[in-house]
Amino acid sequence: MKKNYFKNFDFILLFFTLSLLAIGLITVYSATNGAGIKNQPYFSKQIVFAVLGIITMLVIAFMPFKLLVRTSFPLYGLSIFLLILVLFFGVKGYGAERWLALGSLKIQPSELAKLATILAVGRYLSAENTDINQFKHFMITGLIILLPFALIVGQPDLGTSLVFLALLIPLLFWAGLNWFYLFVILSPALTALLSFNFYAFLIWMGVVFAVLYFSKRKIIILASVFILHIAVGLATPAMWNHLRPYQQQRILTFTAPEKDPHGAGYQIIQSKVAIGSGGLWGKGFMHGSQTQLKFLPAQHTDFIFSVLGEERGFFGVSVTLGLFLLLLLYMLYLATNVNSVYGGIVISGITTLLLFHVFVNVGMTVGLAPVTGLPLPFISYGGSFLLVSLSMIGYALNLAKNRFEY
Amino acid sequence: MKVQNKQILQNRRFIYSGLIIFLFAFLIYGFIRLQVLKKEVYVRQSLSNSIRRVRLYPVRGLIKDRNGKILVDTRPAYSVAVIPKQTNPASIAYLAKSLKLDKQAILDKIKKDYGFRPVIVARDIGLKRLVDLEENRLALPGILPVVDTKRYYPPDVRSPHLFGTMGEVNKVEQLLNPSYQSGDMIGKSGLEKKYDREMRGIKGTQYIRVDASGKELGVYDKNRNVPPIHGDDLYLYMDYEMQRFAESLLAGKRGALVAIDVRNGGIIALASMPDYDPRLLSGKIETAEWEKLINNKSHPLFSRAIQSAYPPGSVFKIVAAVAALQEKIITPQWTAYCPGYFKLGRKIIHCWNPKGHGKLDLYGAIKNSCNVYFLQLGLKIGLDIWTKYSKLFRFGQPTGIDLPGEAPGLVPTRAYYNKIYGKNGWTKGNLANLAIGQGELLTTPIQIAQYVMILANKGVYYIPHLLDHIYDYSTHKTIEFPVETKYINGISQQVYNVVREGMHQVVNGGTGWRAKVRGIDMAGKTGTAQNPHGKPHAWFMGFAPYDFPRIAIAVIVENGGSGGHTAAPIARKFLEKYFYGEPLPEIIVKKDTSKTIRPVAPAVPLNMEALSPLPVTVPEDSLSL
Repeated sequence: MKKNYFKNFDFILLFFTLSLLAIGLITVYSATNGAGIKNQPYFSKQIVFAVLGIITMLVIAFMPFKLLVRTSFPLYGLSIFLLILVLFFGVKGYGAERWLALGSLKIQPSELAKLATILAVGRYLSAENTDINQFKHFMITGLIILLPFALIVGQPDLGTSLVFLALLIPLLFWAGLNWFYLFVILSPALTALLSFNFYAFLIWMGVVFAVLYFSKRKIIILASVFILHIAVGLATPAMWNHLRPYQQQRILTFTAPEKDPHGAGYQIIQSKVAIGSGGLWGKGFMHGSQTQLKFLPAQHTDFIFSVLGEERGFFGVSVTLGLFLLLLLYMLYLATNVNSVYGGIVISGITTLLLFHVFVNVGMTVGLAPVTGLPLPFISYGGSFLLVSLSMIGYALNLAKNRFEY
Repeated sequence: MKVQNKQILQNRRFIYSGLIIFLFAFLIYGFIRLQVLKKEVYVRQSLSNSIRRVRLYPVRGLIKDRNGKILVDTRPAYSVAVIPKQTNPASIAYLAKSLKLDKQAILDKIKKDYGFRPVIVARDIGLKRLVDLEENRLALPGILPVVDTKRYYPPDVRSPHLFGTMGEVNKVEQLLNPSYQSGDMIGKSGLEKKYDREMRGIKGTQYIRVDASGKELGVYDKNRNVPPIHGDDLYLYMDYEMQRFAESLLAGKRGALVAIDVRNGGIIALASMPDYDPRLLSGKIETAEWEKLINNKSHPLFSRAIQSAYPPGSVFKIVAAVAALQEKIITPQWTAYCPGYFKLGRKIIHCWNPKGHGKLDLYGAIKNSCNVYFLQLGLKIGLDIWTKYSKLFRFGQPTGIDLPGEAPGLVPTRAYYNKIYGKNGWTKGNLANLAIGQGELLTTPIQIAQYVMILANKGVYYIPHLLDHIYDYSTHKTIEFPVETKYINGISQQVYNVVREGMHQVVNGGTGWRAKVRGIDMAGKTGTAQNPHGKPHAWFMGFAPYDFPRIAIAVIVENGGSGGHTAAPIARKFLEKYFYGEPLPEIIVKKDTSKTIRPVAPAVPLNMEALSPLPVTVPEDSLSL
């Protein structure tokens, strides 16, 4: 019987995950070390969450496949309920309402919502009679994703809400949406970006018109798509003005951090200094001057990768990013090789979510992405997200183990 | 439930994998850019982030006299510094109130360099205020007491005009000398200013690790630190004992005494009275004390010895005598008759002796300082020759002594008179007046001392200098003051011999007899300079010994009356101290009224045996060699 349990168990996935978790724990230890800090309270807490997370991951991994499928919608419902609760009873974090206090325990429902949304989309699209290329089903899929997005934007947590937008396209892409629809969905994003420059916007509109003309669809669809573009182009500058000042600041600072060295640009500058001064081999564990002298802001949470870059250098960065890359590519391989649509969509959704977190977080530390409060999976300090990340790997392990089921 | 269409997914997987690889390549590019290509930039930035450069101030050089006695020393003083980045307005307000400073002044001072470097805002705050600030330190972020230095003068040292004062460098001085950094303490007057560059030393550097809040964590790297180098010590030519004695001779008077070693130009004493306590201007300066000094009518801040220009009076007659002899206008035997007054046109000028000196030759005229003789001589010489010889004796220009702020004095010329009075507006009276050292002519005491040195050395002179040598701490070497021998061309030795003989007679039975030091053959000249401020200024100049001169002296007592009565005795006492180590007791001539006959026998009976030769015994074999 025992032999049966580990049959088809994916040790490769487990290995990548635990390696990254170990790197994370060591880095948290260094980042939260300092004069006057005794017994490493952050590190100890993180160890507790890591153990809890591993247990959760294994429990999920060994759950029956059918149970996963059946609990997908209830979980989604629960997370939407919690998100609504947060709107009314939320505790303020760093300028954004996102915590829900349960006694002395603080949880972030938005983290749970990330996973639950993926599960719900998987569950919906795996039904026999759904076809993503049908307008109704397409719209419902979009709604499943955009509902938590809307609730989290309202918190207002821009960084986390962007995760849901990022999920949208890859999930539809993986679910088999045809190229024309993909273009229709993707192009408004480019329209929004170009709407800040009038001439660029005009040229882009010409391109959109040409693509639509040659697609040979019904005139009514083409016209409404084109009108949508015009509307997005007009609405975006207005929306920009509606962003909170700190959100605008973060986006602007991303483009030119040196303009504001003491304010918003401080984080990016200090992070770049930390990483750059690490060089090829790093300054050594617990020897990063930027880290140990607390020049880095949020160095155990959002900017933990800067600590790694400073103390471990380009070598440590390459190893860590390499592990992430292998993990993501391996999960895509899994997503292709599971039999069920549910499994494929869930694993690819998890892959997308992890990719988005890794890219935005790491990109932010080197100044290639704006400063958003997105943590780095398995590595950043923070209980909720670690639990959710490990649970996601638990789902992936389960689906890999049950790859022939459907 | 549905099964995936793996055909389509294989394609889409490749596209998606490509995207992921591209994004990771983009990230890796970001790290290569920072950690490999621009590493040096960020390493430097991270060092400057966490390593603070702290200047270490050197000990300022000391001033010592020729015997090594310390005259000016450096002692610690407590100052208050502000770290602009860490402080807050409430702390500044408290500081301003506690130190009675202007709040805006503090803010202006720290605005200039905003950062983690402490800026000293008040110096030498005293122990009481220090304790107060220390007690409230937790409530006053960014304000810290620092140990600073201030000048210290041993108890018996005064002479403020020699040493001068120190102060914080100002913008103009920083422009003139770019090596000065804001906040530096530099010499503002006296030797402190003249030799500031030598005495200030070289600043050191220390690297200290700090955290993000600016807190100092300790030494960064001992090998990178550069220790400061002690400023050069000054060794003065003078024996401070003589300087102090000169100051004591002038105590209670307004005047100056300058004594120069004629063999090398070294200053033996350079006293100016009234003076002030240099301790008042060291460290924190109390406003009330400063106001008092500024407003004092006798100007104690002024160094009379080098900065005050006076009419020289009769001491200048020697110039007229030298000019007349050298230009062969007269011989020493040329005589004039003094009836006690001199008629110049309708104006009558009296000789100082209303009875008149009768018939005098040049020697007699110098000896008795006869005005009538020299008025007539002045008319014979003419302005241009007189001006030429005045300038030969280096009047009308600074002597070049190693002190800042020296006054040049004034020697009137034809051009000067034409400018002042108009081309024909001046008369022979002006000229005659110049010959007896009156009129527009102005000289400083140091110029008179230099002039005596030239007369004593028969034309040879040296630039007067206080400094003998400096000790350089960076090379550990002694650097001597460059003494240069100079010579006045155009005056013959015979001429010097004549005027020197005249000056010899002045001290031996002439107007300057009160300057005569027992046992020393010397020469001199008195002066009694009329001036618009009241009683005449009393002058005496002299040199000794007569044949092989060692010292030249010039004394002036403002409004002291007759030079022979007031200035000459001061010079005598100084010379007695110089030659004998202490002033000799005054001879008081008293008639013996006791009518007792004292035994003539010696007070101590002489031991006759002491006079017999000592027997010397030598070993015999030592002779057999």
